[in-house]
Amino acid sequence: MPLGSVLFAFVVGALILVVTGANPLDAYSGLLCGGLGLGCTQGENPALELSNTIVFTIPLITTGVAVALPFRAGLFNIGAEGQMLAGAVACTAIGIKFADLPTIVLLPMVLLGGMAAGALWAGIAGVLKATVGAHEVVTTIMLNYVAQWLIRFLIVGGPLELTSGTSKSHPIGAGARLATLLPSDNTLTVFGLPASVYRVHVGLFIALAAAAVFAFLLWRTSFGYEIRAVGQSQKAARYAGVSVRRTIILTMLIAGAFSGLAGAIQISGIDHNLTDKYFSDTTGFDAIAVALLGLGSATGIVLAALLFGALHSGGAIMQSDAGISSNLVLVLQALILFSIAANFIGAIRRGLPFGRGVTPTLPTELPPAAGLMSEAAAPPPEKT
Amino acid sequence: MGHKRLRFLGVVAAAMVFSLACGGTSGGGTPAKTYKIGLVTDIGGLNDKSFNHLADVGLEKAKTDFKVQGDVKESKSGDDYIPNLTDFAQKKYDLVIGVGFLMQEAVGTVSGQFPNIHFAIIDGAGTDSKGNDLKHPNVVSLYFKEQDAGAMVGAMAGWLEKNGKAKKNQHTIGAVGGISIPPVNHYIAGYKWAAKMEDPMIHVLVGYSNNFTDPAKCSGVAQSQINQGADVLFQVAGGCGLGVLQSAGKAGVYSVGVDADQKDADPSVIASALKKVDVATYTAIQNVVNNQFQGGALTFSIANEGAGYSVDNFDLPADLKTELDKIQSQIKSGALTPPADIPA
Amino acid sequence: MSALGDILHLLLTANLWQAALAAAVLLLLPALGGVISERSGVVNIAMEGMMLTGAFFSVVADLAWHNPWLATLVAIIAGGLMATIHAVVSIQFRADQIVSGIAINIFAAGLTVFLINRIYGLQDVGHVGPTEGLPYIDVHGLDQIPFFGQVLFNQNVVVYIALIVLVATHIILFRTRLGLRIRAVGEHPQAADTAGLNVFAVRYSAVITSGLLSGLSGAFLAIGISNTFVPNMTDGRGYIALAAMIFGKWTPFGAFIACLIFGVGQAVYDNNSIIHVSPYLLSMLPYILTLVVLAGVVGRSTPPAADGLPYVPGSE
Repeated sequence: MPLGSVLFAFVVGALILVVTGANPLDAYSGLLCGGLGLGCTQGENPALELSNTIVFTIPLITTGVAVALPFRAGLFNIGAEGQMLAGAVACTAIGIKFADLPTIVLLPMVLLGGMAAGALWAGIAGVLKATVGAHEVVTTIMLNYVAQWLIRFLIVGGPLELTSGTSKSHPIGAGARLATLLPSDNTLTVFGLPASVYRVHVGLFIALAAAAVFAFLLWRTSFGYEIRAVGQSQKAARYAGVSVRRTIILTMLIAGAFSGLAGAIQISGIDHNLTDKYFSDTTGFDAIAVALLGLGSATGIVLAALLFGALHSGGAIMQSDAGISSNLVLVLQALILFSIAANFIGAIRRGLPFGRGVTPTLPTELPPAAGLMSEAAAPPPEKT
Repeated sequence: MGHKRLRFLGVVAAAMVFSLACGGTSGGGTPAKTYKIGLVTDIGGLNDKSFNHLADVGLEKAKTDFKVQGDVKESKSGDDYIPNLTDFAQKKYDLVIGVGFLMQEAVGTVSGQFPNIHFAIIDGAGTDSKGNDLKHPNVVSLYFKEQDAGAMVGAMAGWLEKNGKAKKNQHTIGAVGGISIPPVNHYIAGYKWAAKMEDPMIHVLVGYSNNFTDPAKCSGVAQSQINQGADVLFQVAGGCGLGVLQSAGKAGVYSVGVDADQKDADPSVIASALKKVDVATYTAIQNVVNNQFQGGALTFSIANEGAGYSVDNFDLPADLKTELDKIQSQIKSGALTPPADIPA
Repeated sequence: MSALGDILHLLLTANLWQAALAAAVLLLLPALGGVISERSGVVNIAMEGMMLTGAFFSVVADLAWHNPWLATLVAIIAGGLMATIHAVVSIQFRADQIVSGIAINIFAAGLTVFLINRIYGLQDVGHVGPTEGLPYIDVHGLDQIPFFGQVLFNQNVVVYIALIVLVATHIILFRTRLGLRIRAVGEHPQAADTAGLNVFAVRYSAVITSGLLSGLSGAFLAIGISNTFVPNMTDGRGYIALAAMIFGKWTPFGAFIACLIFGVGQAVYDNNSIIHVSPYLLSMLPYILTLVVLAGVVGRSTPPAADGLPYVPGSE
């Protein structure tokens, strides 16, 4: 079914290309080359393209998990972006302040600091949801913007700015940095290019571990059971003795920690300083598509993150090779979202394109969050 | 649309005649090789109505003049700078151009990995994470003295105020910047400095829209300055600043465009401060084609016609013309040096 | 603090309120659209995308036909079409309305720049001439009223339209049978269906209306206040409109007051050439205020009961 959604998006995308006078084959072969290093015709280095895709994939996995976990509890975390930014800020601040500490101390500090900041950011939304019933979609959108402006405040003339007019922070200490898989060496040649161009870093394993933790937490722990119970029905969960309020807050805290980790990994593994690029970053929004497409399973999320990482990486190649604006990638991403959410493929397969006659069940692929809004609107749970 | 394009190229071409006398034998000999030029925009993209767009104009011009294959990558986020630069570099492009000072560190990194590939960067250098110029010999920095261009339009505004030739003549003018960052503040520094030089009584309002893409935000700041009595408004905010020009037009006061000649943006535009990113891009390409690439820095200023001003929807009084020519030649000779930081 | 005194002084000037009202109207139109859509039970966070689409097509149409009214119509229709996608996906296909809304916003951001590239090549989008934008209208006579004349009667034509839409939305929602139907569908769709209302038709109309209003706001932004299209020029206004809708507790006048508060904040910031305010902290303010409202500090903010729930005929 997710494959169907992706296929649907590419077919409609091809139609848009044809209508606007572009050749879909050129566009998609550019995406394929830039994304997966396959079928390159204009001298691209497949290993490099794949390496770039993986670099883009790493934060998508971790933030994807941060969206998928609350989904299971019937919560829609649109705030992965803001939580990630909070994590990036904390990681940078700690990495600068304690720049001289050795790796063994500093690296855990920046990563855990990032997780704590992300958890705090998400926790605000969780507490507001659990206590006064404020809808987490709205609160997390607001918190995203607050985080964005916080970054501008900090690095444009603010306390973290390197020197006046640089619009970026000091670099974090060497001990706060995640190692790359290949030595960051300009003289060593790997696959015909200097080893340092392959930026894949240890964060990949942390991200994969995060996905594994997500699966374990959700399916192998009693807390995971509580999350799923709350997601299925808050009422039933309450009868079963689950504290809905506690579950909501804890779920958001954990989700925020995942997002915060993503931000910390980006700073620690790739950027080493906070720059204005985080102001216009969209990883946390892409994560929503990743979580939906991955059907909330760890493997699914990793594969979906890989797809979106590949699209991101492929867009630039498509533009320089085929002359087609890389904004097409956004269009494709939106189409994938429409398709998953509306389950077009399922509707077509059932031969019932329009709603009235469709059997009254929600598409099974949708996370339970689809039905959450009624309870969101209801008075807050557990009046005690 | 077509004729506008041509007219624009005409302006560019005119600038070339003046500025590229040093170019040497660009027409001489027929280079058998097709030069591959890669342009990487910053997140503003090609339609930013500012320097990314101008860089592309320079590339297009080079494509018509030389045997050049020009390819563009628009960066969708800051994460794209390194992959985009690296892809061009590993394809052995003859010149890889990064647009904008946000790309400094990325250019520093990639130029170190590909010492045999030539890089150019607009508004910056190839730096390390502490902002130090790595001085890689394969990188040419293309800097601009925005303050030179700002000074010319500032002198114009100051003269109009002093001689009562503006609309309200309350000795008040304004400047609307995007964000308070160096490339913006250099313009404003020259503008304020020169306006004060012309009219010591002048009051220069400096505001920021905190934005580069939303004209309504700049329009609000402009309106506030107009309410304070400003009757010449200088926009230094890219696409956002179009709102300044528009607001000035509605209020019946003068406005000044930035980067490119913005005479078409609104009838209120009496002049534009030019930062010839197109000329710089073209020059960098031309140097590569002529095998004259040199690492280091090229600074584009009034002295080499890489910065300047255009008189737009306005009949320049002869006295003012004389005054501007005088200031321009003094800046050119070094007798006058507009400051890079906004004077008090 | 003298800055505070300066701000208070500013708040007494007509100039400030004139600017604040214009800024508020940019938010008000999508916010009213949100109110109508959510009152009918369809969550709408897609105002941003609808507005951006409207802005883009108003400029494309105005450049082609040199007629701001026709261009505005095109913008309204473009906004409406985006809303129709949202309606089909979330009403007909019963998709998650938030996912659909996010998809619309991403779609609009990508499509507009993609289309610039296809339509104008690598050239810039052109400028709309001064006589080809949406006009500013002084209401002669009324604009002479001290203070209020400048604030209320010296504005862009869209401001007047928006104020009329505001009053009309309030009357329709709370004083007419149509409004009763919309609210019934948003609160108790099953009951409304039983009572013979066509839930789908009401929801479709409400969602599409939100697109029309957002499209109009986009036209105001692009060919009223500006005279061209800049990628991403809506700059998050759709989301601030969403905040205003919640802040205003899903009522038209509540949303208007919220928009006005945000508009005043923007107008105060616009004076940063004379009063120095941290732009970043000020930019956070609408969002923090909304969080405070949501936290219940200013009373509960409760959405319509069936807001966000796809309606499945025959279900309970």
